[in-house]
Amino acid sequence: MNTFQWIGKLLSEYWLSFLRGMGSTLLMAIVGTAVGFLIGLLIAMVRTIPVGPGDTPFRRGLLRGVNAVLAAYVEIIRGTPMMVQALIIHYGLFVPMKVPSMLSAIIIISFNTGAYMAEIVRGGIISVDKGQFEGAHAIGMSHRQTMTHVILPQAIRNIMPSIGNEFVVNIKDSSVLSVIAITELMFVSKQAGGAYAKFVPAYLICAFIYFVLTFTVTRILRYLEKKMDGNASYTICGSQSDPAAEIHVKREV
Amino acid sequence: MEPVIELRHLEKSFGDNRVLVDINMTVQRGEVISVIGSSGSGKSTMLRCINLLETPSAGEILFHGENIQSPATSLTAYRAKVGMVFQQFNLFGNMTVLANCVKPQMLVLKRSRQEATAVAMEYLRKVGMDAYINARPAQLSGGQKQRVAIARALSMDPEVMLFDEPTSALDPETVDDVLSVMRELAGTGMTMIVVTHEMAFARDVSTRVIFMDRGVIAEEGTPEEIFGAPKEERTREFLSRYLRS
Repeated sequence: MNTFQWIGKLLSEYWLSFLRGMGSTLLMAIVGTAVGFLIGLLIAMVRTIPVGPGDTPFRRGLLRGVNAVLAAYVEIIRGTPMMVQALIIHYGLFVPMKVPSMLSAIIIISFNTGAYMAEIVRGGIISVDKGQFEGAHAIGMSHRQTMTHVILPQAIRNIMPSIGNEFVVNIKDSSVLSVIAITELMFVSKQAGGAYAKFVPAYLICAFIYFVLTFTVTRILRYLEKKMDGNASYTICGSQSDPAAEIHVKREV
Repeated sequence: MEPVIELRHLEKSFGDNRVLVDINMTVQRGEVISVIGSSGSGKSTMLRCINLLETPSAGEILFHGENIQSPATSLTAYRAKVGMVFQQFNLFGNMTVLANCVKPQMLVLKRSRQEATAVAMEYLRKVGMDAYINARPAQLSGGQKQRVAIARALSMDPEVMLFDEPTSALDPETVDDVLSVMRELAGTGMTMIVVTHEMAFARDVSTRVIFMDRGVIAEEGTPEEIFGAPKEERTREFLSRYLRS
């Protein structure tokens, strides 16, 4: 049998396993990216709280302490491979606590993503023009209102490409979690290939599925970006001769 | 006469650089004050100190006699009463024109959406931008943006309006649109402090002109006094440079 025939044979026998593996991979990547994003958002918001001379020493000390802990989290997670983190956290902490391995995997991937997202979101916040903060502060908005209504919507729009990047990385990097016996795509491919000692056809199927997943995800995110940019055109209400007239203006790009 | 804002011995330094030195000024209700002076004279910094976008290094700022830096004063409530218009507009890029004027009212003044929309539409109509409520700031010209920014500030029903070089970033053709809106506003009796390079506006519209030089108020007086018969040598020098160009 040639490689194509082997691919057909493996697919006909293992299609359900591949499908399940794909499901696990997607589940980990989606939940991991979403939760990681929320962790990153939270950390970046805390780390960008301004400390003014008007603040009490207690508040200043507290913020400094929290910032140190968060900085350590970001540096340690970013500075070690996820596979190693998975082995240590899963076998050292979650196995004794009898946490199911899928949950364990999702927690690990979320915390890992969170560290990267924290820096991405922080970069997004910094990228928003300082004038946006001043405009909001000058009109009487609090720091929290400024962040949630003005800064973060723009920061998140700006970092959408990076969020997409993290998503794609998670789809692929969740493969290392096969070390803690998650039956994700990589794991089932190894199994299917191992059954006949035909690894190349199995991994070709595996690569194809990964590519379809990442490609679809990037397209969806691109669509979301467009949505966030709002209408490319706007309507002018009324004119001097006819107040009910509507003039449609197309944005020049 | 009723003082709205008083600056007492205001100082501001950035490191070793003393930008404001012992500034004293009283702003009465209904005054339109133009602050003129060359770049780096501290005019913008003084304006930004008034709503605490810059923290003064020393001195006091009083609003109706109350120190705005005392812990008892709510900074956000104070800022809501002091409208600010920036050189770079600073409209919220993620919101439409209407939302720019409605959202702050709802968040800061706790107005209902309906009430806030009515107020916003009234001011957008006054500045001639009511037709553009669905546009986003990026889709507007500089002059249009600045008129929206003025409407946004007015929607908060401020007692004082601060203008930080509102026409300096505009195309010459759109400068007049913005200036005429400001003229109209001055006509309604609004208390205004305008940092500007528009000498015609300072001369024709303001009730008092302040000339700043190297961090101090070098001279102040009515427009007739400052433009007609400046007492200080540096005022004369500045004006002659300006009127020549």
